[in-house]
Amino acid sequence: MFKLFEKKGFWALLFTALILILVIKLGSSNSQSLSGASQLVRETYAPLQKGVDLVQQGLIHIGTKLLGVQSLEERLQAEADKNQQLSLENMQLRQYKAEVERLRALLDYQNAQSAQYTLEATRVIARGANNWYNTLTIDKGTDFGLAVNMPVITPEGLVGKIINVSSNSAQVLLITDRELAVGAILQQTRENRGIVEGVGNGQLKMINIPYYSPVQEGEPVVTSGLSQVYPPGIQIGTVITIQKEANGLVQSAYVQPAVNFNRLEEVLVIKAFRAVTQPAEKGV
Amino acid sequence: MRSLILLLLPFLALFFQTTLFRAIPIHGIVPDLLLILVIFYAVFSGSTKGAVYGAACGLWEDLYLGRMIGISAISKGITAYIMGKMEGPVFKDNILVGIIGVVSGTIINSLIIIIISFIGIKGFGLDKNMLAELIYQGIYNTIIATPIYIWYFRSSGAGLLKEEGLLR
Repeated sequence: MFKLFEKKGFWALLFTALILILVIKLGSSNSQSLSGASQLVRETYAPLQKGVDLVQQGLIHIGTKLLGVQSLEERLQAEADKNQQLSLENMQLRQYKAEVERLRALLDYQNAQSAQYTLEATRVIARGANNWYNTLTIDKGTDFGLAVNMPVITPEGLVGKIINVSSNSAQVLLITDRELAVGAILQQTRENRGIVEGVGNGQLKMINIPYYSPVQEGEPVVTSGLSQVYPPGIQIGTVITIQKEANGLVQSAYVQPAVNFNRLEEVLVIKAFRAVTQPAEKGV
Repeated sequence: MRSLILLLLPFLALFFQTTLFRAIPIHGIVPDLLLILVIFYAVFSGSTKGAVYGAACGLWEDLYLGRMIGISAISKGITAYIMGKMEGPVFKDNILVGIIGVVSGTIINSLIIIIISFIGIKGFGLDKNMLAELIYQGIYNTIIATPIYIWYFRSSGAGLLKEEGLLR
């Protein structure tokens, strides 16, 4: 009997069994028991991830400057290289311009929506740790009033919602994730019984559309606002293909997301929103 | 020193997974550095140690992700246990050991996650995108794992990861 305790394999199995019990008891995403440890782990990474983000930005600037120095040396040999220098400067300016435009668009959107939404602008500092979950990490947390279930958007459309938050960072579950479902409405047909969910590969699928609904390709899909999480009217994407389900009672539509998730750098968190029909509805 | 490196490696693996490698995805897929590390540890150290190290690394990843806590711990623990069976019978100086280990480990790990998700997540279903993701994941993991395997093999023989009193 005691020889069993001396076997390393026994301890390995016991350790795995304990983790199995943890999964059963505490493994749900809403569990509070492990949230402290989880927050601590993310807080460890947040400053490093912010640092990498800053370094990446810096490297881009240094790269363009180094290229600029190189072209100056070449310019001494030939007058024609002047054009190259100008084009490099132009490239740098275009980069600044793009950044200014992005930030201006965010600001304009924030100002335009200020009557309806209370928004917090944040920066994306990291992406999901594995390929099973489509998540990203933003650089603000509870210190800025962010909380779980707050919707995250860009001026282009819906990004997802916050699923975990610590004092200085928050994790956003993207709408392309297989576990996230959003109540949606087809903007032209006004069909509001659909649910949009992620299907992997960065695409979305709107399910539960009645067979008689005259849904068309290219039709915009927006949030229905039927849930307490997402305000109505936020762009989700555009219908690209429609298919009848085997039971013949419903059809589904593949939706191209409005947001390009590979190029997200800044996002807006809706801290609170007022519904159009109901006064002062809380967004969380 | 070896213990310190083995503690530091998962931390760094997760850090690079979420930052640098996210900038260079293949079809939206990034390499699972943590899994590669766990597989190599198991191949060099055996099933028992591999399972414990794999479960610990998986738990670290679960805590970072903050959802379905335990799923990576189980999948990486079991994967490491199976891959650890390669420890005795194979010649580890052959790079193919690393490549075969990573490809098969990626498949095993994904299958375990799918099985657990079937049991644990309501409405979870298989789709063709999962197969595509698995193929890309296998390819990317193999590309990244090749130089890591060479480093791991050399380090475990006469470097940072050398075990005291053992000629590996």
